[in-house]
Amino acid sequence: MLEAVHLTKRYASLPAVQDLSFSLRPGMVLGCLGPNGSGKSTTVKMLTGLLEPTRGVVQFDGHNIQDSLQAYRKRLGYVPEEAHLYPYLTGWEYLEMVGTLRGMASRALETKLDSLLELFSLHPHRHTSIGTYSKGMRQRILLIAAIMDNPDIFIFDEPLSGLDVASALIFKNLVQALGEQGKLVFYCSHVLEVVEKVCSDVLILRKGEVIAQDSVANIGQILGQSLENTFLHLVNDVDTVRVARDIVEVMKAA
Amino acid sequence: MISPLTDPIRHWWEYYRQRPFWRLVQLFLARIFRGGGDSDTEGLDLGIGLALTLLAMPGGFVSLLLLDKYGTFAQWLRGITNVDVLQAAVPDEYFFIVLAMTVTGAAAVWRWDAIFPDRRDYMNLVPLPISTRTIFLANLVAILFLAALVAVDVNATSCLLFPAVVAATQLKFLFFVKFAAVHALGVVLASLFSFLAVFSMLGLLMALLPPRALRRVSAYVRGLVVIYLVTLLCTTFAIPNLLRHVKGPAPGWTFLLPSCWFLSLCQVLRGRASPALMELARLALPGIAALTIVGLTTYAIGYQRHFIRIPEIAETTKTVPEPRRSRLGALAQRFLLRTPFRKGCFPFIWRTLFRSETHRLVLTAIGGLGLVLASQALMNAFAEAKSLHQAALSPDALSIPFIFTFLLIIGLRIVFEIPVELRSNWIFQLMLDRDRQECQSLAKKVILTSVMPLVLTIAFPAYVYLEGVRAAALHTLLVGVWSVLLTNIVLIRFRKVPFTCTLPVFKQHSIVILLSVCFGYLLYALSTPEFESSALAEPLRMIGFVPVAAVAWFIPHHLDKNTIDIERKLIFEESATRSIELLRLSE
Repeated sequence: MLEAVHLTKRYASLPAVQDLSFSLRPGMVLGCLGPNGSGKSTTVKMLTGLLEPTRGVVQFDGHNIQDSLQAYRKRLGYVPEEAHLYPYLTGWEYLEMVGTLRGMASRALETKLDSLLELFSLHPHRHTSIGTYSKGMRQRILLIAAIMDNPDIFIFDEPLSGLDVASALIFKNLVQALGEQGKLVFYCSHVLEVVEKVCSDVLILRKGEVIAQDSVANIGQILGQSLENTFLHLVNDVDTVRVARDIVEVMKAA
Repeated sequence: MISPLTDPIRHWWEYYRQRPFWRLVQLFLARIFRGGGDSDTEGLDLGIGLALTLLAMPGGFVSLLLLDKYGTFAQWLRGITNVDVLQAAVPDEYFFIVLAMTVTGAAAVWRWDAIFPDRRDYMNLVPLPISTRTIFLANLVAILFLAALVAVDVNATSCLLFPAVVAATQLKFLFFVKFAAVHALGVVLASLFSFLAVFSMLGLLMALLPPRALRRVSAYVRGLVVIYLVTLLCTTFAIPNLLRHVKGPAPGWTFLLPSCWFLSLCQVLRGRASPALMELARLALPGIAALTIVGLTTYAIGYQRHFIRIPEIAETTKTVPEPRRSRLGALAQRFLLRTPFRKGCFPFIWRTLFRSETHRLVLTAIGGLGLVLASQALMNAFAEAKSLHQAALSPDALSIPFIFTFLLIIGLRIVFEIPVELRSNWIFQLMLDRDRQECQSLAKKVILTSVMPLVLTIAFPAYVYLEGVRAAALHTLLVGVWSVLLTNIVLIRFRKVPFTCTLPVFKQHSIVILLSVCFGYLLYALSTPEFESSALAEPLRMIGFVPVAAVAWFIPHHLDKNTIDIERKLIFEESATRSIELLRLSE
């Protein structure tokens, strides 16, 4: 089980995340929602161990991940928000490097890469430099890098950005399948429909704090609304209709 | 008093700089300084201020170093009186001309990709209601402004300091003014020439080659230009002396060195030119004019061929051949690279060295310097020897592998500091154990796998052929051991994956490091072959190297042993130390 226990992160004196607690059980797909600046990315970085919390701990199976970060990361697959890859490496070279750094045996790695590249429709482009890949292709490379070592925990930060319809559908089904296999999935996204469809539970953040955490079904039932309306109701930052109207007014102004 | 004059100019400038054309010019200037190209590279993104300061520094430093030569007290101590200052200044003036050309040319090569608008500019600017002609003119103005700015900046300090140093012994202020004016004209024109030459070459390639070929060829052309510039810099020690002894018409080789044209122009303006120099001086201004015409014409053609047609040109797809697993490679990997870290990072480092343009350019420059120094050593070896056998055992010939290995080791160490795609290093941050530091041994393996094959496949067979197996084995062994020891020294407290940290800022001890490199070169590449030359005649003398090697091994070993744990941790960002650190006790 992955647990965030009273996580707090401050940049200088500004709090990005405050007293955040939640747990992620095997088989659970936890969606993380929140407007920009709500602390999603900071939370993800703390969960991956890229950022140390100012206060609180992230525990995996009862142990602080900072105590044995390498062992934890061996069991972690992570897709970051932006596809920053080395543009002069080919897709194959990049994945081979990641697999090797993960300690995968070279023969098994090659076989797995071949199959995964084929399944993600990247096999014909495997020896082409990443610099020439489209956003969707880069995203698929990141997905392969995250899943190829069959980790137990998955942290996806906006994994669908740039993916075409078919790849996005494959990925949504993949997330559900991972959940069914007892993996732990933490899924950060802005796309409410996707969270509603693929996640079993949802965590809503606002200004670095948890304002709601429950199963997707329960959250909707509490307010008797869709997840989108529930989200807007809870976050309550802006009147979207009014803002849209104001934008049109500004556009029309001389 | 001044503000009534400056205020209208300021208002005028404020008004005009907001106009679309000038906004575009500013945009292009910023992109040339901050980097261009289609990749989101942030490798060597120096700010405008820092870039200009770095460009201006060499001229200032060298001028100050010349105080010793021109100081009256120093001359008096050396017993030199009644010096012809103008004659004495010729070699130094030539050096400044070459320096101006090299620094400006190197800056233009560095920003090669950013000089012309690219796909990103097309995507951002063409959908806006601006004509492509305006974009063309704005970029041209930015390039010309940049050429002038770099030419002035590179030479600003030397134009003041060098004449001041030379004129220190003269009583008339007018001497300083005249000398400074001629010097400034010579070096600024040389700088402009250098910039325009690179600009014209790029324009010519754009006008003649299709996009895919251009991308492939430009990497080699840039490398050749860098080698030419390094060679030009290395001519500073010989050319002024050669020119002084020229009688009659200018020799053919001087026409190939534009630096000679500008030196001659200065001498003509001072009324001190020989017929040969007068002949060369006549090339300077027409040369600049010709390059300007060629540059502008090819730029216009290149713009038409490349920029306007960007949407029609498919993005180039760079495919590398499918990697083959050789038995030797697998064996080497098994014994040399035992941990996942080494197995993963070793190919990454090699691929970066071969594929990143910045890293390739720096290594090419260092290789070019090595080539020049080695050919100089080879020429000296043959000049002083009576037979091939004697030449091969001379300190000059023996120094060649030392020169190459020294430059390669130092060059790789420098290149490791140049970042590449810093945002992409999240994968290393995620994967690597910061406490288990293997970077030093990995870097050592990379350096030695690049140095040792050269020593074993070139130096060893060459000496087996020339001097027999014993001499070849001893020479190779010495070069090999020295390479290992130097590698150990340059990697003291090295704790980063190469290319994954920001470029280190200039620190107080940077000058000490620079001086240490120069001193190290003297010891490694000049003194060692001197001693080796005599030791090869009597191999027992080779034992003399043992204590030196022991000290060179002990120092880095001792320093590493005494490094505290926190300084062993793997780092990814190397930000400058703040002057004030907050304790944040309340958190």
